[in-house]
Amino acid sequence: MSIRLNVKQRANTVGTLRFLSVFLMETLARWIPMTPEMEVKMLLSRQVWRMAQQADRLGRRANELRAPLHYNRTPRHAFLAAFKQLAAVTDTIDRIDAFHDVALPALATAYKSYLAETDQLTDEPTVMICNQALGEIETMRRERNEWGSEIPKPRTPDSDALKAVRQAVAAANNDVVDQSEQVA
Amino acid sequence: MDPFETKVVRGMTMRKDPAREPCFAVADTDDQMISWPDWTDESKRERIHRHMNNEISTAEVAAQCLCDFPDAPWELRMELARQVWDESRHAMGLYRRLKELGGHKGEFPVANFEWAVSSYLDSVIGRITVMNRTFEAGTMDLMAFIPDGWRAHGDPETAELLDAIAADEIQHVRFANHWVHKLCAENKRNLIKVAQAVGFMDAAQKAIAPPPGSTNLVGVSVEDVSQSAPINVADRQLADFTDDEIAVLLKKHDLESLVNRQEAGVRQ
Repeated sequence: MSIRLNVKQRANTVGTLRFLSVFLMETLARWIPMTPEMEVKMLLSRQVWRMAQQADRLGRRANELRAPLHYNRTPRHAFLAAFKQLAAVTDTIDRIDAFHDVALPALATAYKSYLAETDQLTDEPTVMICNQALGEIETMRRERNEWGSEIPKPRTPDSDALKAVRQAVAAANNDVVDQSEQVA
Repeated sequence: MDPFETKVVRGMTMRKDPAREPCFAVADTDDQMISWPDWTDESKRERIHRHMNNEISTAEVAAQCLCDFPDAPWELRMELARQVWDESRHAMGLYRRLKELGGHKGEFPVANFEWAVSSYLDSVIGRITVMNRTFEAGTMDLMAFIPDGWRAHGDPETAELLDAIAADEIQHVRFANHWVHKLCAENKRNLIKVAQAVGFMDAAQKAIAPPPGSTNLVGVSVEDVSQSAPINVADRQLADFTDDEIAVLLKKHDLESLVNRQEAGVRQ
């Protein structure tokens, strides 16, 4: 059977991916004024716009799936808690890597998981959005190491805070979308 | 909106500065800055350095709006997110040029006045009124002339960079105009927020203005290096200021006689 996700389930996932994109956009935006290093501010600023565009495309697609325009759906509790932990890191290198090396791979996993589940023909508009997002995620991850000459290198080994964030996100990463009825 | 730290400058309470690297000396007022009226190599680097920090500060204002006002209309948030990216590209372009001219970050003091005033306001309409529709529109006026100044002093490269930046700024002013009008039309109480924001900005500008005769850190009269320019009618029209709004600005700047030229679309 080709149709594995119904329209409602697709909208639920699209809304969740949008929630995460907006969450990351806001996290980056919050970090920009409080991060001292100029080039890091500018790197984070680039990614704000990319996350906004992903959220925008998902929000419009949600409306095509019988959900409200720019529908946001809260992810499962453990995943949301892990992302909140990620948003709370304070060190500059931790912030750079929490976003580029933890959040973005987790988001990519969620996109890939959706692509593996949905029907590539009837849900092709979402498939295109997911593929575009995956390309942008690759670009952002590449920029972490290649954009700007003054971006600090990753810390080896991770700080305790970043290690804890990695573990929390990894533990929750297999179950992101809540398909139950009661979630707003 | 989360609580934030404040600072008091000459009796005026404003938002505390955003984070800067230790290499930057952060000033509060023009008499704590360095600038020269002439066009020596050092003066050129200072102009670029100051502009670079202003772009960073504007990116920070727009970014702070994104996290302080999660319930703002999504289309407005998209404009702000785009602005964050634009201003970061501007800052990096200016930083690149600064280094090409032998300068470095932290070479001169910087000030974050626009952040301190705009981000103190508690409404998104107040912030875009002050940051985009006033400060950025003022920069738009200056930018009608500044690139030619660089060309006249033998630096077409910087002139082109500034002109590219100026083109982007038009959209930042335009979207603010669009949203201020739209939000006021939807809710008349927003007019009060706009008036309060403008009143706060005027009070802050008066408070931090150095007394007549003040000099900056290199002994130059602050009045000699203060920047002002006639209203850039052409770009203000592109940024969707109405003819009435432009006429009011021209009158405010004692340029009433130009109103008819403006109405004819003549670039001042």
